[in-house]
Amino acid sequence: MELGVLKLHLKKIALLMGASLACAVAVQAQPASPAPDNGAFEVEQVFAGTCGFCHSDGGRAAGKGPQLMNSPRDDDFLRNRIKLGKQGAMPAFDGAFTDPQIDQMIKYIRALKPREG
Amino acid sequence: MKKKPSCLALPAAITIAVTLAASSAIAQTVDTARIEAAGQNDWLTYHGSYKSHHYSPLAQVNTTNVGNLGVAWMHIPGKSTRGVQSMPLVADGVLYYTGSYSRTFALNGATGEVIWSYFPELDEVLVARQTHSPYNRGVALGEGKVYVGTVDGRLIALDAKTGKVAWDTKLVDSQKLTVGFTGAPLYAKGTVIIGSQGGEWPGRGPIFGVDAATGKKKWEFLTVAGTEEAMKTWGGDSWRTGGGGGWMPGTYDSETNTILWGTANPAPLYDWSGPDYKTQGARPGDNLYTTSVIGLDIDTGKLKFYHQELPHDAWDFDSSVGEFVMLERDGQKLVVHPNKGGFIFVYDRNLGVKNVWRLVQNINFVKDIDPKTGALIGRRDFPVGKVTDPPLCPFIGGGISWNAGSYSPKTGLYYKIGQEWCMTLDIQKTTPVTTPQAQLNIGADFKMAPPPGGEIYGHLDARDPVTGAKKWEIRYPEPPLGSVLSTAGNLVFVPDSRGTIHAYDAETGTELWNHNNGTGHQGGIVSYSVGGKQYIAVTAGFGGMLADEYAPNFGGVYKSMPRDDGALIVFSLK
Repeated sequence: MELGVLKLHLKKIALLMGASLACAVAVQAQPASPAPDNGAFEVEQVFAGTCGFCHSDGGRAAGKGPQLMNSPRDDDFLRNRIKLGKQGAMPAFDGAFTDPQIDQMIKYIRALKPREG
Repeated sequence: MKKKPSCLALPAAITIAVTLAASSAIAQTVDTARIEAAGQNDWLTYHGSYKSHHYSPLAQVNTTNVGNLGVAWMHIPGKSTRGVQSMPLVADGVLYYTGSYSRTFALNGATGEVIWSYFPELDEVLVARQTHSPYNRGVALGEGKVYVGTVDGRLIALDAKTGKVAWDTKLVDSQKLTVGFTGAPLYAKGTVIIGSQGGEWPGRGPIFGVDAATGKKKWEFLTVAGTEEAMKTWGGDSWRTGGGGGWMPGTYDSETNTILWGTANPAPLYDWSGPDYKTQGARPGDNLYTTSVIGLDIDTGKLKFYHQELPHDAWDFDSSVGEFVMLERDGQKLVVHPNKGGFIFVYDRNLGVKNVWRLVQNINFVKDIDPKTGALIGRRDFPVGKVTDPPLCPFIGGGISWNAGSYSPKTGLYYKIGQEWCMTLDIQKTTPVTTPQAQLNIGADFKMAPPPGGEIYGHLDARDPVTGAKKWEIRYPEPPLGSVLSTAGNLVFVPDSRGTIHAYDAETGTELWNHNNGTGHQGGIVSYSVGGKQYIAVTAGFGGMLADEYAPNFGGVYKSMPRDDGALIVFSLK
């Protein structure tokens, strides 16, 4: 391949990569799935059903995710992390849970105590 | 939302083909007969061949010279969120493998030079909402194409020579269910088969058969209540959200024209039914065809036969894991399949139980499994509340994880990793979930715990695959999570969790060589030959559903081990 042709190819590749990133940004604006409608919101059940998969022992110990009991993070941090997640570590639950439901989860986390016995 | 019209005209992905730099090897068509024959220079399907031996007949590298093994070349896939978990495939000197986000590479098998790469554009909002994501466990080859699944529910075919998209078929409504494909597909007889994630997600866990030439869906089998018989095994509306799926590739039996596939667990993982699970709890009944091995007609997807390894699996010890090792013993054609619970099932070719043996010592979810019938004996079904004394064994990571063991026809031994660990639980009475939702459905809080009276460890066993008789065992302080490779050079390779790859004498278990790859292993290992030279290729890179438990529970080297990095490392004799 001649150098000039190679440069042209690289330029095309760079254009495609840039355009692809632009598309990725556009995709991020998609609406999330609606919140589930499965009756009353029992926060302990929801935690055990979803969050507890990574935050061990109901959030009392580190597992795949960090320990939540006695978390030094403030409520805003927890709220944003639940809603937006962290790439490659925690899913974003914005859309899966409503704001009042997320507030209940934060209350649950703040009330965590070591298990007796 | 305002879409940019320019996006519509763009290709769905970036394909960079550097054809002039391509391997000089001449690509031939990979077809069913060739995969069945399993030529010694290639590794044409996830399990090595349809026999699922994960064994290489190459012997250039052997017990006498393995000490001279060194790195031939490496490849860094980049963007390795949750490590590199795939099984490389090799055909005619070209190595194909994937990294996270289904980034697919074709490399010159002798030099590592990139022939082409393909990075699919994924639904990033969806990926951000997924838990078991964005890793990918490999591709399938067939009819001049490379097939790869995506976490946003698509199966894509690429031209094997150029990496250009031949077709791109959406199979799962991932927006609704937040699941897609992480496992490798299987190619056989003009069909590409791929199973969706499922398990703890409330869906019905489909397995698909897709026309290899056109990408058109040929059939779909629902692992949750996929037949009228199965529908009767789900109380109430629980079948609507029963989980299931088949997230690892099975294999193809050409003699019976059957796909053999292992299925995932039901949702919620942990049921609060107690012993009355047939009538009580979140999903009353046996929950067919979850935690089962199934035989599907490859042309129609119709169920031909099955065995449910754990009826009403209340422990997440599913059957998705593991290989279907085909072998003959005393004139009988047998299939050996490991279950996550730590038992090894031996079947005839129609999945009739011939024997069951235990690979793992610390098992207490049942007292035993009847080796003649496969029936569970003394099962522990938990009501609401704590499970601590004794803890449940094994841990949710399983007595056996999803990566593959290896069977050597030369030694007649099956080399398989076992995991000794347990867990405490607090079972919750869950609100019935009756419609698919974008959340997991676990049903308990839990925590890793050591086995009663002992410590956590992992082990490589060399066993008779039919009887389970043990010849030797190697122990590791933490369970290795990668696949195992045996070769005709009388070697067994084990890539461990701390980052060291070991080579053992296949007959005695004596360690003959090791090499530190710098990060943990949790993916595939294969051997192939190009230009008369034998290579061993292994993926390194840690992170994900099980590996993420290592830093908090074991500390040490895992505390600083990256979970967004990885490489393909290829060895040959110096």
